[in-house]
Amino acid sequence: MKSARNKAQIIAPDAYPQMLSKPNAARALKTLRAGETAERAKIAMEAQVPAMRAAILEYVEALEQAGTDMRIVFERSHDIRGFAETAGLVTTGRIADILCRYIDDMERIKKPLDATLVALNVSVIGRAARAEGSDTTMGDTVAQELAALVAKRLADASQG
Amino acid sequence: MPEAGFENLKALIVEDNAHMRTLLRAVLNSAGIKQIMDASNGQTALTMLREHKSDLVLCDLAMKPMDGLEFTRRVRNDEHSPNPFVPIIMITGHTEKYRVEAARDAGVTEFLAKPITAHNLFARIAEIVERPRAFVRCDNYFGPDRRRHVQDDYGGPWRRKDDFQQEVDVR
Repeated sequence: MKSARNKAQIIAPDAYPQMLSKPNAARALKTLRAGETAERAKIAMEAQVPAMRAAILEYVEALEQAGTDMRIVFERSHDIRGFAETAGLVTTGRIADILCRYIDDMERIKKPLDATLVALNVSVIGRAARAEGSDTTMGDTVAQELAALVAKRLADASQG
Repeated sequence: MPEAGFENLKALIVEDNAHMRTLLRAVLNSAGIKQIMDASNGQTALTMLREHKSDLVLCDLAMKPMDGLEFTRRVRNDEHSPNPFVPIIMITGHTEKYRVEAARDAGVTEFLAKPITAHNLFARIAEIVERPRAFVRCDNYFGPDRRRHVQDDYGGPWRRKDDFQQEVDVR
């Protein structure tokens, strides 16, 4: 027989203080789903793009200077992954995502990183971030091939 | 802007990246959320939560000296937590499955992957407003009910058959 202590206590939503009162909740939902709210948000985000692109270039420089310091590589590539697409640098974001997943997966299976592969990713991130109109077919092709290469290395590492 | 419903809402952004804080603030402002505080890590955020009421928290995962997971655990479980029920949306680029599960088990209300879009952020806030979740308190967890979906065709053992015997009002 389960003791009373082991039983989960369920606290229903109407039994704890909610974020908004009911009248405000109805109006808030309307606001969140309104086209004009989406338009205002789009304008607000677009206004941030120049600052975000500048920030990404700073992260790229830090990434390139990190060398074999994988902690910095990991942190800066995550920053880039988090920002790039919002700043309109879709390919840069995709390549940073490939690098992040590679580092994370290798750490999870406790295998050493391939420094050459990391350097290749860093180099491509830098080129993509700096290139005018980097989100081209060529950029997509490079990202796809890099993803395939990383996937193969991960598979090899998992088997090895 | 007509009355948006958020006039009295106080939000707290916990994020170590200043650019992301600015971006989140701008997006929240566009929905009429104007009362916004921010903190650059979980430790500072805990202090702010004790000093100022907050109705909604947007929180990054990787921060120093206190990350978003520890911050969430402290908000949910600390004896002196000012609001253990506050909705916490975790916003992070760390989207690996085990990290999402760690966030869920720490007690986050919603999870949002970077890169963020206004649409996705508003959808998470709407979810909190429209479908607030029950909270569960058991020996090793306190937070929003982690079971988000009911499986109609579930054929396994009903492990919490007697879980729902005790409902409490904490207001």
